[in-house]
Amino acid sequence: MIKYILRNMWRRKARTFLTVFGIVVGIFALTVLGGLSARLTQQVQGARSWFTSSISVVPSGSGLFGGGENQFFDLKKVEEVKNVPGVEKASAGLGVTLAEQGGGFSFGAPDLLIGLDLSEGSGLLEQLAIGEGRPLQPGDRGKVTLGSVLAEKRDARVGDTVKLRGEPFEVVGIYRPTLSAPDTFAFAAYEDVLPVFLEANPFLQKKAISSVVYVIWEPGADPEAVAARIKDEVEDVNVISPRRAEQQISQFSLIFNAILLGIALIALLVGGLSVINTMIMSVSERTREIGLKRAIGAETRTILSEYLLESATIGLLGGLVGMLLGLVVIWLLNSATASQNVSVFAITVTVVVGPVIFATVLGTVAGIFPALRAARLRPVESLKED
Amino acid sequence: MSSITLEDLHKVYGEGGGEEVRAVDGIDLSVDRGEFVAIIGPSGSGKSTLLNLIGGLDVPTSGRVEVDGMDTGGLSDRELTRLRREKIGFVFQEFNLLPVLNALENVQLPLRYLKVNPKERRERAMEALEKVDLVNRAGNRPSQLSGGERQRVAIARALVTTPALVLADEPTGELDTANTCRIIEYMRVLNRELEQTFAIVTHDPMVARYAGRVITLRDGRVASDEPGEDAPLTCDDLKPV
Repeated sequence: MIKYILRNMWRRKARTFLTVFGIVVGIFALTVLGGLSARLTQQVQGARSWFTSSISVVPSGSGLFGGGENQFFDLKKVEEVKNVPGVEKASAGLGVTLAEQGGGFSFGAPDLLIGLDLSEGSGLLEQLAIGEGRPLQPGDRGKVTLGSVLAEKRDARVGDTVKLRGEPFEVVGIYRPTLSAPDTFAFAAYEDVLPVFLEANPFLQKKAISSVVYVIWEPGADPEAVAARIKDEVEDVNVISPRRAEQQISQFSLIFNAILLGIALIALLVGGLSVINTMIMSVSERTREIGLKRAIGAETRTILSEYLLESATIGLLGGLVGMLLGLVVIWLLNSATASQNVSVFAITVTVVVGPVIFATVLGTVAGIFPALRAARLRPVESLKED
Repeated sequence: MSSITLEDLHKVYGEGGGEEVRAVDGIDLSVDRGEFVAIIGPSGSGKSTLLNLIGGLDVPTSGRVEVDGMDTGGLSDRELTRLRREKIGFVFQEFNLLPVLNALENVQLPLRYLKVNPKERRERAMEALEKVDLVNRAGNRPSQLSGGERQRVAIARALVTTPALVLADEPTGELDTANTCRIIEYMRVLNRELEQTFAIVTHDPMVARYAGRVITLRDGRVASDEPGEDAPLTCDDLKPV
């Protein structure tokens, strides 16, 4: 049966090739974007556990991802937050990008130096598992712990000294990979980061500032209720509770997935229409053959399945070739950026299998109408056809 | 026992319109099992339409068709397909074979529709090819066969299921004398050995001469129905080209 279908497809080599190619293009795009989306999902998953393990309090007008560097708290706010019932720890945080002069566009989380108030204990950092060395402790000065990606990028090991924004820091610990934002972060004492920050922002008037307050809630307290209370009791702040962080992150990945869906729809439309066209042409070319088969006893559903299988095969072929091409391109792009320790694409089971299944289903669905047309031909009329 | 029974059969094309064509206009006919019938008549006399009606490829406007004791009027499309598959073998004049299949695969096709297992399918198809003397061409596609060879493959395909009834529409239309003779001889042998009924639409006087019965149609009606010469046939002096 398969042999027969392949032979039938081979009868119009150019047409079959062009139809398959139409699907290849769509599936190629889908695979590459799928790889991008898979990588993003990994990061979002990591970011989710990171951002949802604490309540972030930022200046009003600032959000979870953006604007943080241009709006700041007075350090007095940290005390106010700390006094809210249900708050166990509140530590001031200050972030500076490590790219010297903007550094151009980089995918994923930026490299950040984050200063934390260590006197409150490193509550937030407890969320990260140390892989090598030790975590930061209260009283550590001139010391830094690095995310795994950043450590690799700087070729830094425990005991080495790294220069961050020109300032030397001693590496005391390196975190395990989280596949998310903290992998490209460096953590140090608030006091060490403040001068770096002020130098990077020379026009700032205030000298004791914080860009975010990380809040760890008391054991047993409802983080949403604590967040609401902070919002009520402290002025001019934006409180990002775990649930809101979750929502913002979901929204972010939702937009990307919407783009992906758009590409898939275009592939669906272009590929599907060309399969329909090809199959209709095949059916009308083979009208007499269909009549003949019906005459010698083929059931309508035999004819139906023959043509469905043919269009599914077109889809499958296009899907396989497109997916393989996509993997090759992903691999090339990933190795091109490997020297900078960035991988933009991830290859997961979904990325590999998804587009192929999608293309096969697309081919089958596109074949339904032509196949029904073939199956419904009346034997005597189709035999008369030339 | 009757193999084909037709009662007051009518087939009208374009009914109600200005160009109404009465292709079959009131035919009563009975063909017994094992008969070898030639259906002749001028073009447009309704020969092919009649054959299609008998074979369940077309639906009559009115009247009754019975094949092997079964009234085809009451059958659904599926049941008609089954009837064709199990009881009837068709041979058409041209474009008979599927171009993407070789001779052997073409002959196997009806057996596949009968869900015969692959091994038996192959054996029976080879046997059928042997009978039409085409074993050495089994692997060839239709495009690599001569007109006579193609028609023999088509006959092998019609007969591979040993159907009770064989309907042939101009089976020798495009063949030379030698090939025509061989094909009639082959059909005649099967007709005698297996008691298969043959209804053959033809223009060829040679086919008609060797038939046991000759039915002449004119304007969709039976103009004459008489015994054929039923002449003994030998093709020994007519070697195929």
